[in-house]
Amino acid sequence: MINHYIYDGSFDGLLNAIYKAYYTPDKPDKILSYEKREDNFLVKEILIDTDAKKAKKVYEAIDKKISPAALRKIYYAYLSEIDGIEMDILNFVRLGFKIGTDIELNLANEAVFKIESIYNKVSHERHRMTGLIRFKELKNNILYAEISPDYNLVGIIAPHFIKRLSNENFIIHDKKRNISVFYNKKEWIVREIKGDLNIIFNEKEEDYQNLWKMYFKSISIKEKFNPKLQRSNMPKKYWKYLIEKGG
Amino acid sequence: MDVLDKLRILSDAAKYDVSCSSSGSGRKNKKGGIGSASINGICHSWSDDGRCISLLKILMTNYCIYDCAYCVNRSSNDLERATLTPDEIVDLTINFYRRNYIEGLFLSSAIIKSPNHTMELILNVVKRLREVEGFNGYIHTKAIPHADKRIIDEIGLYVDRMSINIELPSENGLKLLAPNKTKKSILTPMGNIRNRIVETREEKKKFKYANSFVPGGQSTQLIVGATEDNDLKILKLSEGLYDGYNLKRVYYSAYVPVAKSPNLPVLDSPPVIRENRLYQADWLLRFYKFKADELLDENMPNFDLSLDPKCNWALRNIGIFPVEINRADYNTLLRVPGIGVKSARRIVAARKFGPLNYDNLKKLNIVLKRAKYFITCNGKYYGMSSMNPEKIRKKLIYGLDRNIFEKQLSLWEMGGFNDKSLHI
Repeated sequence: MINHYIYDGSFDGLLNAIYKAYYTPDKPDKILSYEKREDNFLVKEILIDTDAKKAKKVYEAIDKKISPAALRKIYYAYLSEIDGIEMDILNFVRLGFKIGTDIELNLANEAVFKIESIYNKVSHERHRMTGLIRFKELKNNILYAEISPDYNLVGIIAPHFIKRLSNENFIIHDKKRNISVFYNKKEWIVREIKGDLNIIFNEKEEDYQNLWKMYFKSISIKEKFNPKLQRSNMPKKYWKYLIEKGG
Repeated sequence: MDVLDKLRILSDAAKYDVSCSSSGSGRKNKKGGIGSASINGICHSWSDDGRCISLLKILMTNYCIYDCAYCVNRSSNDLERATLTPDEIVDLTINFYRRNYIEGLFLSSAIIKSPNHTMELILNVVKRLREVEGFNGYIHTKAIPHADKRIIDEIGLYVDRMSINIELPSENGLKLLAPNKTKKSILTPMGNIRNRIVETREEKKKFKYANSFVPGGQSTQLIVGATEDNDLKILKLSEGLYDGYNLKRVYYSAYVPVAKSPNLPVLDSPPVIRENRLYQADWLLRFYKFKADELLDENMPNFDLSLDPKCNWALRNIGIFPVEINRADYNTLLRVPGIGVKSARRIVAARKFGPLNYDNLKKLNIVLKRAKYFITCNGKYYGMSSMNPEKIRKKLIYGLDRNIFEKQLSLWEMGGFNDKSLHI
């Protein structure tokens, strides 16, 4: 029999799966979120409860016995939503509990290398997003941005904007996943959004967009025209929401 | 004239300044304020020439009393002229920032009336941004040669970075093309800014609330190809600026012919590959512990356009290679083509867990296409049958992916973001 752990798709759920893998004889061959479960005659499905207390235990154990950096890497890897990443995370944690803080240096190890490289991809996109997000001002002065990133990063990008736009209301809407970050000058939450939002722009919004487009055009040096370099720094997949690129 | 036209004219006039960086400052937001800086800087867009856009880079005005031959804004040039009011600059900065178009403002100006008068106007704008608008995003301003120390010292308390552009890398070049500037008028304020940075850092150690002065450091720009100065001369100048003036960055700008003058060269196109080679060499000075004299000398005063400076250096010093990946110390690893700062660190860390094999190296982000000619892995050499520098050279130039030059170019221009070790 092949053991599949089925969890609810949340990070807490994944931590519970790790907990289970440690404390029961039925070790998992795969860990899958409910949405990704596979219908297979030979599979024994083991449902994982999401218990906040157990999740906290695992969370703190990783933080203390491995390192806060390792915890961050695991979380970023989880946000990548890449198929099969759960088992890589489990293998990383297993090794981490053996080796301790130094685990991150052991890049020749398969599990460490995998988590490290996925972590790099997610943080690279996160960094890109800090620059490429474009807010539009709505009638009620709320700043509204649409994105559809490869990875599920609204939650890790929000703190960056809260720091710099602490005195504004803003929404960052992940159109791909139908979730949004809402911030109201005090608190922020991530919520699922069903259907379209009713959006009315501020009367001045278009003026600023035109000013930005003009700036973008005139700051470029014609004699050094280099669209390839432009695309490699700013891949086309991000242009959809870039005002200066017609988004 | 409306703001749209002014913005068009004054950003067009500012575009030849290549500095775009918003790094080096960790300025934090304050209660009720807007903005913060990011220590590694953030690029917000890339223009059609592939350059990063991080700041709103504009001139306050392009009316100039000077007539520098190489400069598009020279007084004798027949050109559309405009001036932005402080209100307009502040409004653009804040509203672009709120929409996350930019990290902040890079304010420069042509010289109106006098250097002091121009600097007073710049001071007025940055003061309003910081004190009235509560703006804590990144601000970079020019320091104008011949301006009073008093004004520069005051502006320094509000901005994150200041730059004085040397532009022409020799005194002779200045005489020929920018007769209103002298070596002294550039180096004196540069020295003053350096001293103030050092002093305020000391004060900050003693008094927590002491003001910072230009926390992102100062930078400058050198124009490449407008004068006869060779790469060795330019690189030696940069080395001197890093060592003697603690500059954060020296930018290089391939000269774009914007004027005709008997003193200026005639170019078909800007020397962009030469510019790229200088950036690569500059990187080697700052992060790879190379000296200018190791990379070029009087017999070879210019960079090879077909191969990067590090590969060139390695081929000229082929005797010290190959080095053993599992034993070579960090500084030696740094000198291997295809091994960067990050991968050198990774090698040193990862081999503590056991000897690395050739497959492991691929995972550590080493560019084996280049590195394999210069290393052994557990005693085994994976390069060619002999270590003949001429043959390796051909392999490096022709055997590589055709796109490698462009990939490399874009990497350098990214400024190593995400790599905490490479604060610019």
